[in-house]
Amino acid sequence: MPSERPLNIPVLLGTTRKGRMSAHAARFLLEQVGKRERVVTELIDITKVSLPIDDAGEAIKDKDLSEKMNSADGLVIVAPEYNHSFPGLLKHVLDSNLKEYIHKAVGIAGVSAGPFGGTRVIQNCLAPMRELGFVTIFFDVNFSNVFTLFDESGNLLDPSFARRTDKFLNELIWMASTLRYGRENIPLK
Amino acid sequence: MAETKTKMTCPYCGAEMNQHGEKLMEPRTAEEARRIDPKLGALVEEFHTCPKCGKGAARPGR
Repeated sequence: MPSERPLNIPVLLGTTRKGRMSAHAARFLLEQVGKRERVVTELIDITKVSLPIDDAGEAIKDKDLSEKMNSADGLVIVAPEYNHSFPGLLKHVLDSNLKEYIHKAVGIAGVSAGPFGGTRVIQNCLAPMRELGFVTIFFDVNFSNVFTLFDESGNLLDPSFARRTDKFLNELIWMASTLRYGRENIPLK
Repeated sequence: MAETKTKMTCPYCGAEMNQHGEKLMEPRTAEEARRIDPKLGALVEEFHTCPKCGKGAARPGR
């Protein structure tokens, strides 16, 4: 029998850059996740996660982030493309946990100033996601030409994103629900 | 004879947890490197989730 608890799917804003346009994308996705029934969400901004850079991995685990990831059933990562890959600080933050991610669903939204919508950052995220224990979905969201995609207030100017995001979230919620049932009920042989 | 594992108790709510995964881990320290399973060449970590509160926990496996 499925759990009565609502699904918990936070949105992780994966850049610390000043003036980051990815913040608009993250807020848009947060709003879309928040509209879903029986799903709770929150924004996790990596600028708010206090991690040292003189060590790495689980040795520098942040208690608050660990608790949020432990309580999550899935995750939306919003990642801009930096030199064809993910921001180093996003990887640094993700690497600080492990058991918190095992058999949980993750969907990735790529953000870029150019026309490819962060496809390369998404592709480069897949291998670390697998090693961290996440289960990736096959839908992505691609925020292309991000400087003209949002107005100055952060409003999305292309209405087609609502429909695309709907498909992305349908898949993510299905995967998160299925994996939660498995984590809680199906023993490893 | 099959090995019987002790169920993990949820550190958050005390319920019996479900083991749903295990992972081979590369040692991160010299001390961990001394504890690797020679047949696997790695450490084993078990992953458990509580069906009552949904929280996860881990412990060293065999």
